[in-house]
Amino acid sequence: MKIVVLVKQVPDSGVERTLRVDDNTVDRGSAGNVINEMDEYAIEEALRLREAHGGEVTLLTMGPEKAAESIRKALSMGPDGAVHVLDDALPGSCAPATSKVLAAALTTLEPDLVLCGSESTDGRVQVIPHMLAERLGIAALTGARKLTVDADAVTIERQTEEGYEVIRAATPAIVSVWDTINEPRYPSFKGIKAAKKKPVRTLSLADLGIAADEVGTAGATSEVVSHSRRPPRSGGAKITDEGDGGVRLVEFLATEKFV
Amino acid sequence: MDFDHTPEQEQLRDAVRALGRRYGHPYFVAKAKAGEHTTELWAEAGRLGYLGVNIPAAYGGGGGGITELAIVGEELAAAGCPLLLLVVSPAIAGTILARHGTGDQRDRFLPGLATGAEKIVFAITEPEAGSNFHRLATVARRDGTDWLLSGRKCFISGVDEAQHVLVVARVEASGRLRPALFLVPTDAPGLTRSPLAMEIVSPERQWLLYFDDVRLPAGALIGGDPQASLPALFAGLNPERITVAAMGAGTARYALDRASAYAATRSVWGRPIGAHQGVAHPLAHAAIQLELARLMIGKAAALYDAGRDLEAGVAANLAKYASSEAATLAVDTAIQVHGGNGMTTEYGVATLLGGVRAGRLAPISREMILNFVAQHVLGQEKSY
Ligand SMILES: Cc1cc2nc3c(=O)[nH]c(=O)nc-3n(C[C@H](O)[C@H](O)[C@H](O)COP(=O)(O)OP(=O)(O)OC[C@H]3O[C@@H](n4cnc5c(N)ncnc54)[C@H](O)[C@@H]3O)c2cc1C
Repeated sequence: MKIVVLVKQVPDSGVERTLRVDDNTVDRGSAGNVINEMDEYAIEEALRLREAHGGEVTLLTMGPEKAAESIRKALSMGPDGAVHVLDDALPGSCAPATSKVLAAALTTLEPDLVLCGSESTDGRVQVIPHMLAERLGIAALTGARKLTVDADAVTIERQTEEGYEVIRAATPAIVSVWDTINEPRYPSFKGIKAAKKKPVRTLSLADLGIAADEVGTAGATSEVVSHSRRPPRSGGAKITDEGDGGVRLVEFLATEKFV
Repeated sequence: MDFDHTPEQEQLRDAVRALGRRYGHPYFVAKAKAGEHTTELWAEAGRLGYLGVNIPAAYGGGGGGITELAIVGEELAAAGCPLLLLVVSPAIAGTILARHGTGDQRDRFLPGLATGAEKIVFAITEPEAGSNFHRLATVARRDGTDWLLSGRKCFISGVDEAQHVLVVARVEASGRLRPALFLVPTDAPGLTRSPLAMEIVSPERQWLLYFDDVRLPAGALIGGDPQASLPALFAGLNPERITVAAMGAGTARYALDRASAYAATRSVWGRPIGAHQGVAHPLAHAAIQLELARLMIGKAAALYDAGRDLEAGVAANLAKYASSEAATLAVDTAIQVHGGNGMTTEYGVATLLGGVRAGRLAPISREMILNFVAQHVLGQEKSY
């Protein structure tokens, strides 16, 4: 089975992240950059499928030169190789443009299964799997907390607010996963050393037959026109216990409809 | 001068840190207080190849150096889980076997050390000899092709967790007693042990060992020849000092992390106590001592991995000295910053006291390092 995992490099959500003042895009230069957390679960799931069914796992990243660090790091978990779509025209790409580029790259890779995280910690739009499915004419099974593959179908338990739904589709298909699906492995020292030697193929827009003005800020279908910080949280209610603390606490919770 | 680790070394650091944090100091303390060992952490770190980073790749190890092993030791300690046996099993025994073991010994023992599945502890200290290794009285006598080992050892860490103990004994060769290293199964007939009661919060215990004519085959002698033993013994010293220093530095980092977080949030006079220089300066001072020690650890490891053993010897001693002093200072300062909370189990800093304090006497005392520096760096007459 050929599995492709979409991996995105994002600013570390553990430290303060900012938008750039000049063009309102995510500032990828400031904070440390890491693998989008949810993508690690997708990689783990792909590796487990490879262990159970054989085949190969390829990572697909669209991102700046610096994303190469994250690719090496992701490879140290065990995937066989990676494709890095790298082009000066790409920064500022909107979701439709991103999906156009990823779909073109996926077409060259001919996967049986595409895995990705349910959302990225920077963009959080959750639309990429659907857009890719539309462009590739395959099914999108999103929000998986469990995934099984048999013959030429894939079945997931789709996590919902109330419980879960079981969904099945023919492969090839794209599946996005939540962090409830598994516990990603730590890279072994051998994995870290092996990652250095794994093939990472770089593709440009020209390689994919996409014109520069179809993507990036130039081809964006939407634009963030301004941004401002959320105002600091206001004081809230302080209850000083003068013997009646418990009662007043419950009263407060009742007014907020928690009890 | 290049102060950067390679990307692979940085990745190793990140990976070990993540693993260590999942266990954390409360796990370590709970194991120690229950008289148990950090078996799960050891096994997982072993499976991931972190405990065997320095073991040659041909034997299933990582094929890295002491730099990598020091990174592993430091990061686990910085996560609140200092693993003492990393210093004896992969660092001392692993190095001695890889560099001076016979082919059979390497085949038999290195694969187990590479995965952490087997542990070899190290016994040199004796009640009567102390820091004076010329007085070691554990002796091996020939009996046919076998050896008979007799004597006593004390303070030996982790014997109950290990399959073998690497014993520094002496044998008679051309009328003189010379050091000789033997691999002894911990369940060998004639070997008995009793635990020493120690005031250290640690999952590892120290033991008294009694060897009463323990019969060993010829293959138990490291290198197969008593001549091989002195260089073998020396080969183990630098890795021991560098990794023990790294563990101390990690412990200091852990303590300072806790203390800084506490000082930045604890408020007694309307603003964080860290705003008082009387609180912040000792922390800054400890942080400086720690960073200086880490630099020397990095230097010692780099020299050692470059095969420059003699220079590494000086650097490793300096690193060990600086790190144990910095760790003691950092833990003491962290306790002070925490006020009364500093002495509680919950805040997890006083739990490190015994460990860092022992670091100033073991595996080599600060005085013996000062002796070494006085004599070999400053050219003073030997004082003892
Ligand atoms: C927690 C712990 C774990 C240990 N684990 C192991 C282990 O796994 N294996 C093992 O073999 N040993 C182990 N040891 C023993 C340790 O290596 C020794 O305790 C250490 O080498 C000091 O030897 P000693 O206790 O005999 O002290 P002594 O040699 O009796 O020294 C006592 C004091 O006198 C000072 N002193 C001695 N000679 C001189 C001198 N010439 N000049 C100036 N000062 C001097 C020393 O510095 C020290 O302060 C461990 C010890 C501890 C505390």
